[in-house]
Amino acid sequence: MATTTEDAVPRSVPEGVKKRRDDSRLAWLFILPALIGLLLFYFWPLVRGIALSFTSWDLLSPAQFIGAENYVRMVQDPVFWNAVRVTLYYVVLNIGIQTVVALVIAVLMQRLTRSAMLRSLILAPYLVSNVVAALVFFWILDFQLGIGNQLLEWIGLSRIGFFTTEAWAIPTIAGVNVWRHMGYTALLIFAGLQAIPSNLYEAGRVDGASEVRMFRSITVPLLRPILGLVLIISVIGSFQVFDTVSVTTGGGPVNASRVLQLYIYENAFAEFNFGYAAALSVAMLAILIVVTFAQYRVTRAGQTDLN
Amino acid sequence: MSSTRHSPARRPRRLRRHLAGAALSAAALGLAGCAGAAVPGGEGDVAIDYWLWESVQLPGYQACADAFEAENPDINIRITQYGWGDYWEKLTASMVAGAGPDVFADHLTMYPEFVSRGVLLPFDEMEATSDFDGGDFQEGLAELWEGPDGRQYGMPKDFDTIAIFFNHDVLEEAGMTAEDLEGLDWNPEDGGTFEEVIAHLSIDAEGVRGSEEGFDPDNVVTYGLASGGAGGDGHGQTQWSWLAASTGWVYTDEPVWAEEYNYDDERVHESLEWLFGLVDKGFMPSFAEVGTSPNPTQQLGSGAAALSPNGSWTISSYTLLEGIDLGVAPLPAGPVGHPVSMYNGLGDSISAQTDHPEEAAEWVAFLGSEECQVLVGEQGVVFPAHPAGTEAAIEAFGEKGIDVEPFTDLVEEQHTVLFPVTNYGSEIGSILSPVLDAMYIGSADSSDLTEANERIARLFD
Amino acid sequence: MTQLHGTAGLGAEAVARREPENPAEQKRPRRRLSLGRVAAWAVMIAMLLITIFPFYWMLRTALSSNSALYANATSLLPVDFSWGGFERVFGLQTVDEAIAQGGSGAQLNFWLYLRNSVIVATGITVCQVFFSAMAAYAFSRLRWRGRNLVFSAFLLSLMVPIIFTLLPNFLLIRDLGLIDTLFGIMLPGLFMAPFAIFFLRQFFMNVPLEIEEAALIDGASKVRVFFALIIPMSAAPIATISILTYITAWNDYFWPLMVSYTDDSRVLTVALGAFSAQSPQSGPDWSGLMAATLVAALPMIVLFSLFAKRIVNSIGFTGIK
Repeated sequence: MATTTEDAVPRSVPEGVKKRRDDSRLAWLFILPALIGLLLFYFWPLVRGIALSFTSWDLLSPAQFIGAENYVRMVQDPVFWNAVRVTLYYVVLNIGIQTVVALVIAVLMQRLTRSAMLRSLILAPYLVSNVVAALVFFWILDFQLGIGNQLLEWIGLSRIGFFTTEAWAIPTIAGVNVWRHMGYTALLIFAGLQAIPSNLYEAGRVDGASEVRMFRSITVPLLRPILGLVLIISVIGSFQVFDTVSVTTGGGPVNASRVLQLYIYENAFAEFNFGYAAALSVAMLAILIVVTFAQYRVTRAGQTDLN
Repeated sequence: MSSTRHSPARRPRRLRRHLAGAALSAAALGLAGCAGAAVPGGEGDVAIDYWLWESVQLPGYQACADAFEAENPDINIRITQYGWGDYWEKLTASMVAGAGPDVFADHLTMYPEFVSRGVLLPFDEMEATSDFDGGDFQEGLAELWEGPDGRQYGMPKDFDTIAIFFNHDVLEEAGMTAEDLEGLDWNPEDGGTFEEVIAHLSIDAEGVRGSEEGFDPDNVVTYGLASGGAGGDGHGQTQWSWLAASTGWVYTDEPVWAEEYNYDDERVHESLEWLFGLVDKGFMPSFAEVGTSPNPTQQLGSGAAALSPNGSWTISSYTLLEGIDLGVAPLPAGPVGHPVSMYNGLGDSISAQTDHPEEAAEWVAFLGSEECQVLVGEQGVVFPAHPAGTEAAIEAFGEKGIDVEPFTDLVEEQHTVLFPVTNYGSEIGSILSPVLDAMYIGSADSSDLTEANERIARLFD
Repeated sequence: MTQLHGTAGLGAEAVARREPENPAEQKRPRRRLSLGRVAAWAVMIAMLLITIFPFYWMLRTALSSNSALYANATSLLPVDFSWGGFERVFGLQTVDEAIAQGGSGAQLNFWLYLRNSVIVATGITVCQVFFSAMAAYAFSRLRWRGRNLVFSAFLLSLMVPIIFTLLPNFLLIRDLGLIDTLFGIMLPGLFMAPFAIFFLRQFFMNVPLEIEEAALIDGASKVRVFFALIIPMSAAPIATISILTYITAWNDYFWPLMVSYTDDSRVLTVALGAFSAQSPQSGPDWSGLMAATLVAALPMIVLFSLFAKRIVNSIGFTGIK
């Protein structure tokens, strides 16, 4: 088959196929359902949200146009800038640890065993919702009564105020979310690893390449589209961290874990400053767009090395 | 080879049929879902939706609803309960969408926001509630629910005060009895006899008491006083309101609807300095040990603390603790000469979006009636606002073996200070929380609180 | 046909070079116990312990009785063993019993909520994955003007803040008269998920051009290529994304909480919210909450164990390592 295919269809696309290359009509048909969802449930709310960021709206009485006042207030708001700092710190910790751990698990899963049981186990934390995962760790890491702190004491270390000290709050929250997502991320990477043709490794082995060498020159480049995807998705998700903070530290101690999404949420639903919350959300959106665009460029997630 | 070539042509039809089938069944499922959601309700002509968050109170209010429906067969009461964490978001979003309840349990931190936005119906607009008489209830409760326009926006439901929970066994080990906890005095300078008791009840890892030589404040096993955190989001209701208020300090310049807070007053500063100073002495857990979601019940239950000040709505959590011979002691008397507790209460409000204001008002009037409040009191969970209901509750608690007089005496003697009902409740909480946390941790001092008071003042400009 | 089926995720060259019985399997010294392998296993086991321990702790707490928990916080075994937590989850206790054990007074109709959750998660998964796959195909294998622009729009939708979408979507559901219906809970998730599109697109891109072109030359239409080639060849990633979608739909809390008002549309997560703290300054019903968590996760674990086998098989057949 391969030989015939290569004869008939060399890498340059033949004329017959090329003619049909503009698939516009079919393409629009194929994306139609998704497009409806996009416009109805994402874009219309987005447009509305951006419009509301120029108003003062308390949810229960009509919105009033106030121009860029919310944005002026935002630039001068120390809590906002603190929230940006805290969020970035969280994202770096969360993504850094999570990607490394997930990559290790995925490679180990592929190399060591194909047990379905193992794969179910590793995904198990993802079956628990964010809120519950946070509560479980809140309980395990309680300063006085948590088994985690008891373990530390048993091995001769001193207890740590995981959720209760300014230095530990964000790393602990990042850790909880790594726990919940590492299996999930590992599974995505694992699926990417499975898509790498095995003969490449066989060829590498014939050439006497070491495992490390093959990892660098086969696994990494061919995994790049999936890894890029995983990174982009997890960074976007990571920026929007909320539940875990809300049920554990509530943003404290002081403002040590008051992440952007929590601050937005407090403004919108607790303080009835929806207009200001909308402006904060636009700021977060802008940060996300910049970060994602940069990542997209760096990881070249849009291309594949296979074709 | 050739089979490979031809298969794409043969496979799709079957697959497409499969997929179409799947999509259809999904749509059918969706439709089934719609059809399944029949309009709820009963034989009643008018359905009134009533929301509350306290699950332990559900049985009491269900009893009220049954009694009400028996008297008003044309009105059907539908009670829905959501936990505190979800309640306000669900309520707000529902109000935005015009899909909220007719009547709902309301809290003093939130209700000024509702009143100022006109989403509550004033009682005088409906017949059933037009003859509302605040004198039916425990002194002061009705005024809390009176708007700045002088109209009534909430039916007093219950009240809460603060007292101190303890374990009789722990006292015994310390050579004390429950009587020793009565008549204690406190002042912000040396803590008075209250601090002596706290010191005596603190025990370090070597078994040395805080009142003895050689006590190691860095290695404490049992703290004399449990910590409820810094209390920034509730004006220190259970944490320090009773300390600061017993110096004669008041929250605001007016009892209700004030526009000026007194967080720049030296008396509240000294009270907080004394309280947070207990950490260094080893008499109270540090911030690192309790964090932003402290649980004083847990501290008493695990033996990590001896005295656990808390609100009356937590009585049932304490009674559930196993291996604890539970007792309730009064708050210490402060420089004013007697103990003072924050006096807070819940109420029932009528949504302006209701389609049936008259029926909703009838239900609210019934909620405030002696009949309903006695039914609630008999559950022994909270203190209803109606004196007869309060009596029923005291009796019900007594049957469970708990003497709740330390809570109710405060009201009888009027040794109370009202929860500060003002606008910007949530914003004020957001300003106070970080500052009080930092003071507890030790990274801020009273001057930061004065500065926070200025920020609060700017909200009202 | 069988051959094609077996090439899932493989390059054409790989098919060509593949030996009939896949002797590579035997050639590789897989069973040798090298230092590296021991270390790798050690890391793997450590990861597993970290993964599993919190579940053990949930089980241990679920089987403890609430009232004794604080006094024996660090006991490794259940304290004062009790089925109470599970009984509350299945609604087997009376209100008084539940409250006496530190639970909430809420009455739970477990099987109804389970049914609702299954309907919602299944409906969302089937529609969302199918429509997302269609879109992903258009974005990866079809050539058309504006493709990148439209794709960026989808990428952007990943970033739309939740507070923007929550209220407008809720208002839309209200206007459609779908409040308090399962369909109303499902609707926003039926059309697509940006993540699913993005994810599948990456896999569709990796399907070798040669295979597709061979089919096209045979006269197959692009639609056929999608149904008969791309979908079967991407069985593993589609199964993966389906499971992830199912889990996400199953665990969703806030949106169903908004839409649901009565038992008719109450899903499991919302109903089990009754086990978290119901009033401020009071702790949750720990044993009930942990029991609820385990019970809610159980159907997912079973489902995943079943599907994981299938993923293994579909991949294993091709001999990929």
